Amino acid sequence: MPLATVLIDGNNFYASCEAALDPVLIGRPLVVLSNNDGCIVARSAEARALGIAMGTPYFQVRRQLERQGVVVRSSNYALYADMSQRLMATLEPWVEELEIYSIDEAFGRLHRPAGGDLTAWGQALRRQVRRHLGLPVAVGIAASKTQAKLANRLAKRSGYPAGGERAGQSLGVFDLGAVADPDLWLEQVPVEEVWGIGRRLSRWCRLRGIANARQLRDLPSGELRARCGVVGLRLQQELRGHSCLLLQSVVPAKQETCVSRSFSEPVTSLAALREAIATYLSRAAEKLRRQRQRAGTITVFVRSSPFNGTSFYANAATVSLPLASQDTAVLLAAALPLAARLFRPHKPLQKAGVLLQNLQPVEQLQHHLLVPLSPEQQQRREALMATIDGLNRRYGRGTVQWAACGLRPSWAMKRERLSGATTTRLADLPVVLA
Amino acid sequence: MLDAIRPLPVLSLPLPLPLPLPLRPDRRAVRLPLAVESVAAGFPSPADDYVEVGIDLNEQLIAHPSSTFFLRVSGDSMTGAGIHHGDLLIVDRSVEPRPGRIVVAVLEGAFTLKRLVRHQGRLRLEAAHPAYPPLELHDADDTRLWGVAIQVIHPL
Repeated sequence: MPLATVLIDGNNFYASCEAALDPVLIGRPLVVLSNNDGCIVARSAEARALGIAMGTPYFQVRRQLERQGVVVRSSNYALYADMSQRLMATLEPWVEELEIYSIDEAFGRLHRPAGGDLTAWGQALRRQVRRHLGLPVAVGIAASKTQAKLANRLAKRSGYPAGGERAGQSLGVFDLGAVADPDLWLEQVPVEEVWGIGRRLSRWCRLRGIANARQLRDLPSGELRARCGVVGLRLQQELRGHSCLLLQSVVPAKQETCVSRSFSEPVTSLAALREAIATYLSRAAEKLRRQRQRAGTITVFVRSSPFNGTSFYANAATVSLPLASQDTAVLLAAALPLAARLFRPHKPLQKAGVLLQNLQPVEQLQHHLLVPLSPEQQQRREALMATIDGLNRRYGRGTVQWAACGLRPSWAMKRERLSGATTTRLADLPVVLA
Repeated sequence: MLDAIRPLPVLSLPLPLPLPLPLRPDRRAVRLPLAVESVAAGFPSPADDYVEVGIDLNEQLIAHPSSTFFLRVSGDSMTGAGIHHGDLLIVDRSVEPRPGRIVVAVLEGAFTLKRLVRHQGRLRLEAAHPAYPPLELHDADDTRLWGVAIQVIHPL
C-alpha cells in the first residue's frame, strides 16, 4: 500500500484559539494584532468576509473596525502555544508519523487504505479536532510534502474548477490522490504558491511562461536542473508525487536561541536599553534551561527605526564566555556591558535582541582551568535557577526577576487588548454561569 | 537459583540530589520509585513488587488532557448537583453530551452550566435549583453544547 503525506493546519489559528475559549466571540468578526498591537495578523472568517486585509496597520483601520463592531485582540502567545500543543497531541493518533512544522501546522504520514480514498478519514479527523478543541482545521492529502501543501491550499478554497464538481471534495479536506483529474487541480495553484519555490525561481518560471504548479511539474527536468540544480529537481520530483523530503518527527537540538522585540516607543537612554537587554536575556536563559543547554556565545543587536528621520543605525556586539553557562546572572554580567558599546545618544532605537549561540547540552560541560566551578557551587546555582523558573511558571512570568530588567519599563511591548491565559492560569479561567 | 542471587539493579542518582522541590508536578516527569530495601546481595524482598509511585490527581481527574479545560463557576443554579459558586469545574470536550449529563452550553455569548435532559422528546437544559426554570434547546448542535462537566473541585 502506498504512503500518503498529509498537511493539517488550523484555519485562522490565532483568531480560532481566541474564539474557542470565549463564547462572546463565536460568530463575531475578530482580528488579532501583532506585537505592539501593530498590524492585523489573524482574522476570523467573519472579519475576512468584511474585507479586512491581512497585515493592515491597526492605527489605519481602528475607527473602521469600531464602526463595524469588529472585536480586536492582542496576540496571546500563552493561549496559542497551549492550544497548539493540544492540537498536536490530538493529531498524533491519526497518523503513523507526525512532524510539527509550526505552531498551527503538522505534516503526517500514513498508509492509504484499500480503495485509496482518505477523504472520509480527513473529515473524521476534522470533526474530532472541531469537537474536542473547538478549532477548525484544513486537511491536505497527497503523496509528498510539496503536494500535501498544495492539497491543503485546495482544501481551503470554496469554489471548484470546471469539471471538478464530481470529484466529491468537501470543504476543509482535499485528497489529491483520490480525484479523477489531479492536473485540473494543480492548474488552479499559481506557481508562486508552490511550497519552497522562492521569489527568484518563480520569477524565472513566469518569464518562461510557467504559470501554475502543473506546468512546473511537466517542465523538462534537464532545463530545471540547469537553472537551479538539485533543489529544483527535488521540488519537481515532489510535485510529481515522488516523496523526497522526510518527516522530521524528532526535533533536532537547537543551534541557537534568540529573543528580540520591537519597543512600544523609541528607546533613547542607555538605562532603558540595559533594561530591555536584561529582560530579553533572562527570557533567553529560561528557554536555554528548558532546552537543557548552555550557551558559549552571546550576541546583542540593536537597530533604529528606518522611518524616524535620523540616519539608520544598526549594530551588534558579541562576547564569548570562558565557560558555557545557563545561569542568568553569569550571562547578564557578560552581556550588559555590550549595551553601552552599542548605545548612541542620538539614535533612538526601535528594536533590540539577544542571540545565544554555541549551545551545548548541559550533560557535557567543558571545564576551564582558570574558571574554577566546584560541583557544590554549580548545584546551588542550578537549584536557584530551577526555583526561579518554577515560580515564574506557577505564578506567571516576571514573578521573580532580576532587578536589571527594570520595574516599570516604558519600552515594553504594547498588548492593550490581551485576553487572559484562559487555559493555563487559574486566575484567568473562563467563567461558566450556573 | 542463579537468577535469585543476581544483585538488584541500582538506581544511580548522584548524591546529594541537586533537584529543587518541583513547584508544579510535570505530567511528563518520570517518577522513580525508591528502592525500599538495601542493595546487599541476597534474596529480593517480595515487597519490592508493591512499590507505590504516589497519587497523581491529574491522572485521576483527567482522562483526556488535550480536550480538557478548566472553568470557574459563577452562580447557584447547580447547587442541587453539588456545584457551588466559585468551584473549579473540569470539562472534557471529547465526552459525548448525552441526556443526563451536566453540560457547558453557549447561550447568548456566555458559558452556561446546566443538566441536559430529554423532556417529551425534546432536549432542554435544567438547573439543579427550584428557582430556575428549564431552558428549551431549539438547536442542540455542536456549537451550542460546548463540553461535558466531568469533575468539580469544591473547597470545604
